[in-house]
Amino acid sequence: MTQHSNWHSDISGSGDASYIWLHGWGYNRKGFERIAALFQKDGTNTLYDLPGFGDTPMLPEGANTEEYAVALAEQLSDNKPHVIIGHSYGARVAVQLASKYPQKVKAIILISGAGLPRRRSIAFKIKAFSLKVLGRLARISDSLFCTTYRDAYIARFGSSDYKNAGPLRGTLISAVNENLAGTARQIKCPTLLLYGTNDVDTPPEIGRRYEQLIAVSRFTELKGYDHHDILTRGAYQCEALIKSFLKDVEND
Amino acid sequence: MAKKKVIAVVFGGRSVEHDVSVLTGLQFLEALDPGKYEGLPVYIDPLGQWWTGDALANRKQYPIDTSANKNLTQLTLDLATPANGQPRFFAFQKGLMGEKRTEITFDLIVPAIHGSNGEDGTLQGLLEFASIPFSGCRPLGAAATMDKVFTKRNVRTSGINVLPELVLSRPPQGTFLNPETIEANLKATFDGDPYPLIVKPCNLGSSVGVGKADNMDSLIAALMAAFRLDYEVIIEPFVTNLTEYNVAVRRDADGGIVSSAIERPLRNAELLDFKNKYLAGGIPGGPKLDTGPSEGMASLNRTLNPDELSNEQEHFIRSSAETVFDMLSLAGSVRVDFLANSETGEVWLNEVNTIPGSFAYFLWEAAAKPLSFLALTETIISEGFELSARRLGATDTKSGGATIFA
Repeated sequence: MTQHSNWHSDISGSGDASYIWLHGWGYNRKGFERIAALFQKDGTNTLYDLPGFGDTPMLPEGANTEEYAVALAEQLSDNKPHVIIGHSYGARVAVQLASKYPQKVKAIILISGAGLPRRRSIAFKIKAFSLKVLGRLARISDSLFCTTYRDAYIARFGSSDYKNAGPLRGTLISAVNENLAGTARQIKCPTLLLYGTNDVDTPPEIGRRYEQLIAVSRFTELKGYDHHDILTRGAYQCEALIKSFLKDVEND
Repeated sequence: MAKKKVIAVVFGGRSVEHDVSVLTGLQFLEALDPGKYEGLPVYIDPLGQWWTGDALANRKQYPIDTSANKNLTQLTLDLATPANGQPRFFAFQKGLMGEKRTEITFDLIVPAIHGSNGEDGTLQGLLEFASIPFSGCRPLGAAATMDKVFTKRNVRTSGINVLPELVLSRPPQGTFLNPETIEANLKATFDGDPYPLIVKPCNLGSSVGVGKADNMDSLIAALMAAFRLDYEVIIEPFVTNLTEYNVAVRRDADGGIVSSAIERPLRNAELLDFKNKYLAGGIPGGPKLDTGPSEGMASLNRTLNPDELSNEQEHFIRSSAETVFDMLSLAGSVRVDFLANSETGEVWLNEVNTIPGSFAYFLWEAAAKPLSFLALTETIISEGFELSARRLGATDTKSGGATIFA
């Protein structure tokens, strides 16, 4: 088991209600500053740096989203239900937490949440498969003939997240290959799904499939927003939708 | 669930403050509650043509070449409201069978245009004439506050401290500014040595065309620059050790008038001109429109709730802003700007903006009783519906007993 270290966080607002904000890949706690500021009057907002991001140390190399959720559960030791808001990668952790530790979760809100494999065209699949083979060949060639094709391959075809991942590369790869459909099915808490219509990283289609999988869920598309500006330009619209959702949760 | 109200936010416009207005309009659209309202962006290009389209929501699109952009639809506002009372735009689309007219209905217009042809009562008058509900000030308040001299003369009557002013009209075509006449006018208006002076166009906000004069030569130069923008120009003494304070005012749900946090804009240059005001910290000539959350007036560096203000000063600022709001029957989120001499502590009311940049939401979010932009758009919209309904209700001929054709 991992050592029990405290995650770095910023806390704002006060009150009994607890909002836990989990940022996306490549972000840190600051990514939520603008939107979380809109919830200061409503309760205590904890903006975490996920392990390996910002000022929180890494989990063991290659840790997957489930291990992130286990580590998060240790942070939330008070056993009272929290509202978990996750963006992109943070949404994966929120899904894991909600299914593994239902007693700690009152509701989850996934903003541009990832976790389900994208529907891809045949052309895309062929291209992806060819590239995978090419990457393997490069690696074999490097080990046999001391070439540096693998580096060239990454420079040419690797995503910016992959290139910048550093020691978190294993974690990133496990996330990209993961399918949370089964996990999502076990979620019992109310779930809000917010997706921007212009999101190319986690298109609204993913949110619609989450809606099918999660028993009590509400899916809303925000017109004109993408994967990132949904947190900034879209902050007020998210605020409105989250608040009316939480009000309905209270009234149920 | 009730049908969502369509809120048409009109921005851009034939005004020197066109670009800032684009930001204000988009910010308002982004702060609409998606559960209750559907935003309809309506862009008025610098030629005065009206457009709509999803592409308008993206800041990167600006400046937009409206005539070449295939994603935009040109609109005309229907001034002859149909019998069902539902206001509408007409859109024209070219098809195989010639031009096809389609109808885009909406419920309320939010004017988000700064300066002339939008903040000055002209658009408001047009909308009242057409019985189209709209938000913010009615024509009277909008027109009254756009004229800086009219505003000052009015507030002076209620004992609010304002600077003395000299108003000059643009000299007739073919003639020049006469230094001797100006000299005599200055003597009659200001005590002692009048310089330094500040020159500004009478009917513009946003510090566009504002210049400082240290002697007659620079005064003439500043006047010429200002006359290019406006027919009337106002000359005031330059306040030394100048500090500015702004406060926003609105009417709350109970009908009382409330004021926001006070801000002191930060700046390096001696004079706050357009570039300093909106591009603070930016590179001159650099891109004005970014995609970030803080932009336009919202990104202007400022100190909120500055602690150097004495109780009397704060009271003066708040009470005179509230008095102006009441006196001129204003509505919406109105920003009132003050000048102060930080040495002597004297404060003067400077001007009133009925459609301030970003609707001054950042002042409301920092108010003693904070109000999120989301809640602000809600109050602006519901007030707009209420004010328009109040007027529309009184236009029935029968209610006034003025029926002739019974």
